[in-house]
Amino acid sequence: MRLTATVNGRARTFEVEARSTLLEVIRESLLLTGAKEACGVGECGNCMVLLDGEPTPSCLVLAPDAEGREIVTVEGLAPEGALDEVQAAFLEAGAFQCGFCTPGMVITAGALLRDQPNAAAGEIKQALAGVLCRCGSYTKVMKAMEKLAGRGA
Amino acid sequence: MKRLREFSYHEPESLEAAIGILAAGGDGARLLAGGTDLVVDMKTGRMRPSIVVNLKRIPGLSGIEAVEGGIRIGALTPVATLQASPLVGQMAAALADAAAVLATPPVRGLATIGGNIGRASPASDLGPPLIVHEAIATIEGPDGSREETVESLYVGPGATTLAVHDIITSIFVPTPAAGFGSAHLKIGARAGGTDIAMVGVSAGVTLGADGRIAAARIVLASVAPTPLRAIAAEQALAGREPSEEAVAAAAAAAAAACRPISDLRASASHRVALAGVLTARVLRSAIARAREASR
Ligand SMILES: Cc1cc2nc3c(=O)[nH]c(=O)nc-3n(C[C@H](O)[C@H](O)[C@H](O)COP(=O)(O)OP(=O)(O)OC[C@H]3O[C@@H](n4cnc5c(N)ncnc54)[C@H](O)[C@@H]3O)c2cc1C
Ligand code: FES
Ligand code: FES
Repeated sequence: MRLTATVNGRARTFEVEARSTLLEVIRESLLLTGAKEACGVGECGNCMVLLDGEPTPSCLVLAPDAEGREIVTVEGLAPEGALDEVQAAFLEAGAFQCGFCTPGMVITAGALLRDQPNAAAGEIKQALAGVLCRCGSYTKVMKAMEKLAGRGA
Repeated sequence: MKRLREFSYHEPESLEAAIGILAAGGDGARLLAGGTDLVVDMKTGRMRPSIVVNLKRIPGLSGIEAVEGGIRIGALTPVATLQASPLVGQMAAALADAAAVLATPPVRGLATIGGNIGRASPASDLGPPLIVHEAIATIEGPDGSREETVESLYVGPGATTLAVHDIITSIFVPTPAAGFGSAHLKIGARAGGTDIAMVGVSAGVTLGADGRIAAARIVLASVAPTPLRAIAAEQALAGREPSEEAVAAAAAAAAAACRPISDLRASASHRVALAGVLTARVLRSAIARAREASR
């Protein structure tokens, strides 16, 4: 079946199977490999994309459910190659080790700060609870987030 | 990547069309709401539907409105919407509490209330508060519309009384009695909700004009094949002062009623111990809210 959606600001139309997940479409048809599959069942958040602005685990969404909607992947955060504010803060704080979880982290973190620019530490932890980091970079992620939320150096 | 097996996919635009496809499809047909259970179950192989009927193009199945005698929640309403709704907070505090600890925020954006009932997980966070609040589901089938209490729908792990062609369209939560307060708590592997419950407890307490407990409802998650009504615990409270002794008696009765299994989340004996502790805590919150409501 045909799917029409806006991906990182561009209208795209492509052929999908109903049984494809949005993550498969993003990685295998659009060749955007920032969103990762780790668990495949909604638990790790490494496949997070923005669907109509909301962080969504794309491994749980069937492709037809993206029809007519706006998808932003981590590639869409820095279309010209210049890092956005969240990415820059993560880089400065060294908020990763292997970087596998980073696309999901920055996508989710960006949506939180858009809605709550001064989110409290507890709110940040709640919002990021859906993204797991196998390397355990949480402390540095919090450091980056505290700074973005207007606290700390 | 874990590819899904092939199935025939439908996006009906009316309930009649959906019921028609389901009725013709027989046992292999499954409804798709948020997909946070169904897609997972299809990946793990627990479910192998040959027909998937997506409900999301049918208008009017999502949203929360005040109606005569209570609130009506569309079956496709996301858990995140329940969590953010002032109406739910006012009218069904235990349901709002539960929505706030169900899974993680991104999953809450997809997961729906109807899907939570449809999945009938013994660990469901929404079943207990809906039963405490005496919620009633409206169900559409080939023979028209009918109403059933949410409590009566649960049969066993993953099993409900719903036939393949039945669709929950909305859930009605009645306005609580004067002096009523409710709360929900769960314990998972990590603090702050987000994990599947090792044990969850919802309680509702109605204080009479004399300050005594006129009625109580207590329902536990993850300690039996279905959400478990702890009737003996409810009876241990009826007619008593809302004292620590009464709370302790109810907590002991709730723990005694549990029939848990041991699994990767917790052993059976740990669950029974948690059930007592959590029942006492949730009763204290429900009583405090009932006192607020009685003012
Ligand atoms: C990472 C993760 C964490 C989770 N944590 C929790 C948790 O903490 N607590 C909890 O309770 N749940 C949890 N869940 C389970 C799930 O999110 C909930 O049960 C959710 O409410 C299911 O809703 P859905 O719309 O996604 O259902 P779907 O997956 O779309 O459907 C589930 C089942 O219900 C049926 N169904 C759907 N809609 C209807 C309807 N209107 N009428 C009749 N049948 C219907 C479907 O056919 C299917 O069998 C978790 C899931 C994931 C992936
Ligand atoms: S791969 Fe989607 S949540 Fe883990
Ligand atoms: S940096 Fe390696 S998984 Fe998070």
